[in-house]
Amino acid sequence: MSTDKKPLSATARAVGERIGSLRDFLEFLEENGQCITWTDEIMPEPDVRNIAVAAGRDSMNGPAVIFNNIAGYPGKKLVLGVHGSFTNLALLLGHPKGTTIKELFYDIISRWGDDKPLLDFIEPEAAPVNENRITDNFNLYDLLPLYRINEYDGGFYIGKANVVSRDPRDPDNFGKQNVGIYRIQVQAPGEFTLLSIPAHDMGRHIMAAEQENVPLKISVMLGNHPAMCMFAATPVGYEESEFAYASQMMGSPLRLTKSGNGMDILADSEMIIEAELMNGVRTLEGPFGEFPGSYSGVRKIPRFKVTAISHRNDPIFENIYIGRGWTEHDTLIGLNTSAPIYAQLKKDFPEVVAVNALYQHGLTGVISVKNRFAGFAKSVAMRALGTPHGTMYLKNLIMVDDDVDPFDLNEVMWALSTRTRADDTIVIPNMPLIPIDPAAEVAGKGHRLIIDATSFMPPDKLGSDSKIVTPPAGSEIDEIAKVIQLLQNGGQS
Amino acid sequence: MSTCPRCQSTEDKIRAEHKGLNAQGELVWTIFHCNACEFTWRDSEPASTIDYNKREAFFRVDPEKPYPVIMPPAQYK
Ligand SMILES: [Zn+2]
Repeated sequence: MSTDKKPLSATARAVGERIGSLRDFLEFLEENGQCITWTDEIMPEPDVRNIAVAAGRDSMNGPAVIFNNIAGYPGKKLVLGVHGSFTNLALLLGHPKGTTIKELFYDIISRWGDDKPLLDFIEPEAAPVNENRITDNFNLYDLLPLYRINEYDGGFYIGKANVVSRDPRDPDNFGKQNVGIYRIQVQAPGEFTLLSIPAHDMGRHIMAAEQENVPLKISVMLGNHPAMCMFAATPVGYEESEFAYASQMMGSPLRLTKSGNGMDILADSEMIIEAELMNGVRTLEGPFGEFPGSYSGVRKIPRFKVTAISHRNDPIFENIYIGRGWTEHDTLIGLNTSAPIYAQLKKDFPEVVAVNALYQHGLTGVISVKNRFAGFAKSVAMRALGTPHGTMYLKNLIMVDDDVDPFDLNEVMWALSTRTRADDTIVIPNMPLIPIDPAAEVAGKGHRLIIDATSFMPPDKLGSDSKIVTPPAGSEIDEIAKVIQLLQNGGQS
Repeated sequence: MSTCPRCQSTEDKIRAEHKGLNAQGELVWTIFHCNACEFTWRDSEPASTIDYNKREAFFRVDPEKPYPVIMPPAQYK
């Protein structure tokens, strides 16, 4: 996908050049009042969870939180909420506080692509992640300040690892190398389970390795460049590289190096856990509080054993709170979920203005579109349900006109209030749906709802001849709103 | 910790995984793991998580039950 490319602003370029790692970004967030340090002593449970949930309540402006005083983990650092607010994402992309979600959406669209990757390769000896190397007596419980994310999780989870694996049948292919976020449950000091499904790239690698009885080696990257996490969570094509997408979004090179077991990894990550699939072994895993805000059940899933660990001096363990929304998970993947759906629709329907698939990974979406003719929005909705992500996720879809910002729920509710006729909604029963929808009668199936909240036009019956008020809008008003905000903040943006 | 908070397996099934110490080297908590149901817990957690009777019954695990297998392996061990 590649659309309306614009050159990056000088600020965006400067931020891209400055941020080469998680550490750089935390420093930058702190300078901008978007990263705090919790210095009081806390217990791993329930304190980490409680603080993470409280910090995550403000999806626009919540800060990242560094913990440096967790009982039983002296000297260890944990950070949560790095992608926990839209302001943190705005800063990453070189925008000021107060940038709207819609502005971020268009900026991410304009940066989207993998045709001009910016990747520097450096020798492993020069990579900060190799400052320390452990080759035996692994103890993840000691190296990482682990804790239970939600109270009924089956154990201690690593929820924000970026896992690199290669197709075991084509191990030299850079494009088929996958970087994804898969939930990891620590099962022993040197072993863990990793959840993937056959449809995911990692699932394909696991199945291929077991069928052909060849080893599957992986590198688990922890504490990564913030752009990496955003693309590790984005489903890109099987032969496309997440490294390429992440570097292109930043407009600045990512530094890669080789892990001890042959994967391309980020040279500036906090820690790399090298591991190998325990071929044919399945271990009880879960429950785990997942993004719809419900627990996914207990399953038997693939297990890996650690083969080596590299880490920076004083590594920072980056993790995520995930559960009932709003959580960091929603901010982390929301815009990157929306962008590909927009691009896929835009190809056939240039009238599509914006796509908001922020809610629970797109279980509810809002699409704004300029009706070409009466009923047109419904055709666009059908096409959205047929996009790769829509096929499994878009459960509820609200269609709004091009004069409604789909990211502004006040405007969306106005459209629902004024432009919806209750007998003009569509329910498509018994469709495929991700198995973890808590409302499902049968896991894996569900009904789809389309609410057409766009205006009627001939040959629709139009009823009364009421006319919509046209309040002043556009960039001039946006600028005034920013001035007002500035005045309200006493001149501080 | 004599039994597993999730499946009530007894001591012979439970491994002590790791001891958390403070800066002075004193014991703060211990992490345990149940070999039967693969539950991991820390003895300092709230009772609602680590006390079998206070946990919601919904979350009990019976290791004998045939839980679904994700991606059945080519050669099952
Ligand atoms: Zn047990």
